[in-house]
Amino acid sequence: MENIEKKLREEAKRLLEEKRVDALVGYEAGTLPLTATPCFITNPEDADKLVWNAFCTQNLAKYVHDLISQHREAQKRVKPENRKKKVVGVVARGCTTRSLVLHLQERQYGREEVVIIGVPCTGYVDRKALAAVLDGADIREGSLTGDKLVVQTAGGKKEVLLADVLADNCRTCKFNNPVLNDVMVGEPASAMAGAAEEYAAVEAFEKLPPEERWAYFTKEMSKCIRCYACRQACPSCYCKICFVEQTQPQWVGLGEDATDTQVFQFMRLYHMVGRCVDCGSCVSVCPMGVDLRKFLKKLDKDAFDFFGNRAGSSLDDPPPLSTFKEHDKEDFIYNP
Amino acid sequence: MVARRKFATLKSFLDYIGVEGDRAIFTWISASEGERFANVIKGVTAKVQALGPATKLVKTL
Repeated sequence: MENIEKKLREEAKRLLEEKRVDALVGYEAGTLPLTATPCFITNPEDADKLVWNAFCTQNLAKYVHDLISQHREAQKRVKPENRKKKVVGVVARGCTTRSLVLHLQERQYGREEVVIIGVPCTGYVDRKALAAVLDGADIREGSLTGDKLVVQTAGGKKEVLLADVLADNCRTCKFNNPVLNDVMVGEPASAMAGAAEEYAAVEAFEKLPPEERWAYFTKEMSKCIRCYACRQACPSCYCKICFVEQTQPQWVGLGEDATDTQVFQFMRLYHMVGRCVDCGSCVSVCPMGVDLRKFLKKLDKDAFDFFGNRAGSSLDDPPPLSTFKEHDKEDFIYNP
Repeated sequence: MVARRKFATLKSFLDYIGVEGDRAIFTWISASEGERFANVIKGVTAKVQALGPATKLVKTL
């Protein structure tokens, strides 16, 4: 990790000095112990604040899309002959590169507008799981050595195994190494232990009777307070105007009606068919702890089972819902 | 053909969350197939009647 961090800083500095990127998106140490937060760097000297560790949570592809689309919007006020492209560098793990590939497939920006610094990933810490292990005690100090977290709380010192607090999506991740990169920092990481049981939770849920599945769905959605943090954090949610905010027509009511919340969640989830890269950003930002992943993973599984597609796994694949094959699944078509 | 993919995943996902996926019915009818159109609609109403009123994802004011 130390080594990767050092190389990452060198690479970032070099890219900025050589003006190959105008801005660089990475992670810096957070203000609280054992956290990291996204940061934006334009000055080569600032590259030393970059970090890479098990607390880097958010999918940075979201910010790449934001930066480029904002820049393009601003360029509309510039004479066409004077318009410039903005090149964004990004520190990307496996899921982040999948999101970038997805953006490229969906023609959100050009390949020349993004420089990818690939980093190997061994999973990140789920803050909610860590809080549960510590019974919600405030973390005063903490450090990570090897696979052990040493945490100092008001109640004393506690040792936590990293493997016990890894995020669920990281445990079963099959794409922990970048699928696309310009510069690779460090050696590719070995596969995650649970990669073979990727769909185990979905398969177990599928076997439940429909009423229990519906009860689980309504129970989870009743926690939702419609803060839209999941949408804001999701790299695949980049519409300029979300269907939730549209008024002509109004697809879903505002307010706290339970059905509206279910419909909002259902529609947002369904927009992720073959587009969810399972980065866990939505789950990690959710203040209410809604189990979104149970449903997102099903959409990923369907896209894989029906169309053999893994979101953003290759630049050559078209998005699954914008293409078709002759012998796609069709046993559901109604033929009286 | 792209619609076929969309409906395949939509029905599967509706079933997954416990809503009757059979309420979403998908088929192709040509403009010249009047009789087929009538048959499909008869079949759809029969199917929906068999399922009874929808209670899930329905907003009541």
